[in-house]
Amino acid sequence: MNFEAVIGLEIHVETKTKTKMFSSAPNVSLKEPNTAVTYLDMAFPGTLPTVNKEAVKNAIKVSHALHMEIDRELHFDRKNYFYSDLPKGYQITQQRRPIGSHGYLDLRTSRGLRRIGIERLHMEEDTCKQLHLSDYTLLDYNRAGVPLVEIVSYPELRTGEEARLYVEAIRNIVVYSGVSDGKMEEGSLRCDVNISLRPYGQEDFGTKVEIKNLNSLKNIEEAIEYEKKRQASLLLLGQEIAQETRRYDESRGETVLMRVKTDAVDYKYYPEANIPPIRLSEDFVKKAIEETPELYDAKLDRYVKMGIGEKEARIILLDPLFASYFEGALIKEATPKEVASFLIVEINSYLNKKNLTIGQLPLKPEAFGHIVAYGPKHGLTHQQTAKILEECLNSGISPEEAQAKLKIVALSSDEGEVKALVEEILRENPESVEAYRNGKDRALGFLVGQAMKKSHGKVNPALVSKLLQEGMK
Amino acid sequence: MDILDLSIREMRQALEEGRTTPKELLEKALERAKKDDCNAFESILEKEAYEALEGLGKNSGPLYGIPYLTKDNFSVKGIETVASSNILKGYRPLYDATVTRKLKEAGAILIGQTTMDELAMGGTGMSGHLGYTYNPYDPSHKRMVGGSSSGSAAAMAEAVVPFATGSDTGDSVRRPASLAGLVGVKPTWGRISRYGLFPFAPSLDHVGYFTRYVEDAALLLGVLAGHDPHDMTSSHRPIEDYAAYLDGNIKGKTFVRILDIEESLSDKRLLEALDRLSEELIKRGAVIKKERFGKDLLESLYATYIVISCAEATSNDANLDGIKFGPYYEGKTYDEAMRKARTAGFGELIKRRFVIGSFALMKENQDVLFLRAQRNRAKVVARLNELLALGDALLIPAASGVAPEFEAGGDKLSDEYLIADNHLVLGNFGGLPSISLPLAFENGLPLGVSLTLAPFKEGEMFRLASVIEDITGLRGLSVLNRKEGNL
Repeated sequence: MNFEAVIGLEIHVETKTKTKMFSSAPNVSLKEPNTAVTYLDMAFPGTLPTVNKEAVKNAIKVSHALHMEIDRELHFDRKNYFYSDLPKGYQITQQRRPIGSHGYLDLRTSRGLRRIGIERLHMEEDTCKQLHLSDYTLLDYNRAGVPLVEIVSYPELRTGEEARLYVEAIRNIVVYSGVSDGKMEEGSLRCDVNISLRPYGQEDFGTKVEIKNLNSLKNIEEAIEYEKKRQASLLLLGQEIAQETRRYDESRGETVLMRVKTDAVDYKYYPEANIPPIRLSEDFVKKAIEETPELYDAKLDRYVKMGIGEKEARIILLDPLFASYFEGALIKEATPKEVASFLIVEINSYLNKKNLTIGQLPLKPEAFGHIVAYGPKHGLTHQQTAKILEECLNSGISPEEAQAKLKIVALSSDEGEVKALVEEILRENPESVEAYRNGKDRALGFLVGQAMKKSHGKVNPALVSKLLQEGMK
Repeated sequence: MDILDLSIREMRQALEEGRTTPKELLEKALERAKKDDCNAFESILEKEAYEALEGLGKNSGPLYGIPYLTKDNFSVKGIETVASSNILKGYRPLYDATVTRKLKEAGAILIGQTTMDELAMGGTGMSGHLGYTYNPYDPSHKRMVGGSSSGSAAAMAEAVVPFATGSDTGDSVRRPASLAGLVGVKPTWGRISRYGLFPFAPSLDHVGYFTRYVEDAALLLGVLAGHDPHDMTSSHRPIEDYAAYLDGNIKGKTFVRILDIEESLSDKRLLEALDRLSEELIKRGAVIKKERFGKDLLESLYATYIVISCAEATSNDANLDGIKFGPYYEGKTYDEAMRKARTAGFGELIKRRFVIGSFALMKENQDVLFLRAQRNRAKVVARLNELLALGDALLIPAASGVAPEFEAGGDKLSDEYLIADNHLVLGNFGGLPSISLPLAFENGLPLGVSLTLAPFKEGEMFRLASVIEDITGLRGLSVLNRKEGNL
């Protein structure tokens, strides 16, 4: 029997704001534990939540990017449960009316273009970070109250690849909209997978298993593919799938049982009376959308239209800072393709060598653009320009100074001049010409070498080679 | 008459004319506080009060040098505040409630915290961790002062201070005010910031207060009202000059009496006093209308209130787990430590309310209990609005009679209990401004009457109330300053 996987994803994204979702404590991830905390975060009696406008804007930006309907009235609810990481004994969330609903994402998968429906996007607050030690647990309230958006897909994903592409697309949206740093490895983007199997053609869903702790795109894909196989083999043996929560063990490449789900917890949701319904003006929503920076897909399109290969464009877009550096370097005199090429190869290798990030590069993007443009303008080869770039990076000098320092001379590309030289060489080396004509390609290299020698390296070797070949036809 | 028995305006005048000093006021207030034998106090903050006195400086706020008391559920920075519950033992807030801050800025001096029903849940003054709070009008200590703002009511009846704060979720200021011969005010929901008030049920919770003069009540609202960025439900409406409404002119004003509430009463003296009050109001140019609320709706008030308030309370008090503040109990797991803290920390009544609230919120019950109660609340409010459209204020006895005895069990399903002793919750359901004030005396015990108006009609409320105060002659009432009244 063949099975089809039914996969739904819940993604939590920590969003960037100055202060927390409902309190005035700073929203920072890297700080001494329990230093970014105010009264509400520790649930002191009498404290009240106030909704963070920036967090609402963030939610609008992501909702819009996911083609969602945006609720013009905000409603919040309480989700009630006792847990050590939940200071108030309830979490403020949006159960009844999520700010975003009914959206979708288009994915280019190996099965073709797939449109994945998204059920909802709602705002809520994060819990404390817990550090479980041998016989006690430490709580860090810095994370308590950090704004989150939760994005819930419809169960319309079918493969690990689709899930990976879906999460990647969402990550690109939250990162490029400036809403989050979207770092899965640091937990600012967290993904839970719900997966069940059913025979092809069956309408009803099978028993679903939840997979948690997926901290990379690769793990999402692998965990799903493993889980599909695991569930299929159980079903083929006539065994039931247990409703359980599993985690992915990266080293073993397997999902491992965390806990069997008994009856679902009743969260006793009910409206949060301390936050009145908040009407969002059209203007507020419009502004939030308008101030959203250009997103990943739009950038990709634009880069490709500039003449950059899609592969190269995606490399540049791996990091928004990299992309913004790239865009800063696009001065009129430099071709985008050249800028991309120098950025991906030369700049990247420099960063790797020095163990720097793009933000630490000692060269402003416009200056980089000028160096890229400098080469062609002064008749230098790519290689020569690369040397100048390296020198500029190392010594902080101008390209003119670097060229002088490295004694790099422009190669002549004057066809008349080069042609005269080539004719001279052909005349002086009849044996080599003969050899070339007899199929000995190596002779061409010798002839180019002779030309370079004679001109003291001042001609463009590519042009010499081309003219030599023409002359020997 | 002692200086402490005067109105705040008169005290301020005496201060300005040099007939008294803030220090003298404080000394006298502390002296009276120490004489309390009704279990009104969680704390008497003598040292802190003298410090505050020294810090007064040239403060010329509207309450300069006026001593006051606060219910034990308002956050006071650095001072143990426990809402009369063992679960909060040792908790010293790190911040002032907005009300605490505003009173400080106005120059008022906090001299103590008052007992209450545990976590403001209850209307008897019997459930606080320090035991019963007694009604000063009954020296035999057989009668309750009501709750949950029990200690504030008792201390005010003892004329310890000219005003005290309270909170009102069902009737927790206005009913004790009625049983203790005081003015009890609960303005429109959102008129006074709740920031720093320990919550019971936020959709019903109001900051309220006690005074002995209607004019003091008007003055205080001017100090306490206003938008607070810490409380999103607080109103942006401008604060009015409430005292300016006290012109005694009620010509053409319409009071609406509710017959089916009155019919549930058995206290003849109370009804008689209400009739006499009506006659006097008419003499002064007012109109009295008699309407029916609808008995089914009235009988549903208590159940509706219990379901909503308990449901909200179970969530609001989920922060009390002994981990972050309050006594900590060892446990191998969070669950164990939390259970131990809550088992030891809460009284029986509270636990029962949590069970009810939790039950009402359960998925399988929510529609028939919590949501049904919410729908019924909306129905009640719709009916209230219809009645308020017929006149300026609802005129209703504030309680079914005088302060009951602790031992009097009473039939909890009788109309008298369900309606006459619970109708004040109408003001909480609708978030409406509501006041209770002394009406008359019966065997030396006070009876009260209440007014309830449309949202933000506080100025009008004080105008009407001051005329009633003038008619009854029961201004500045306390056990030290007994009057029989005119009705």
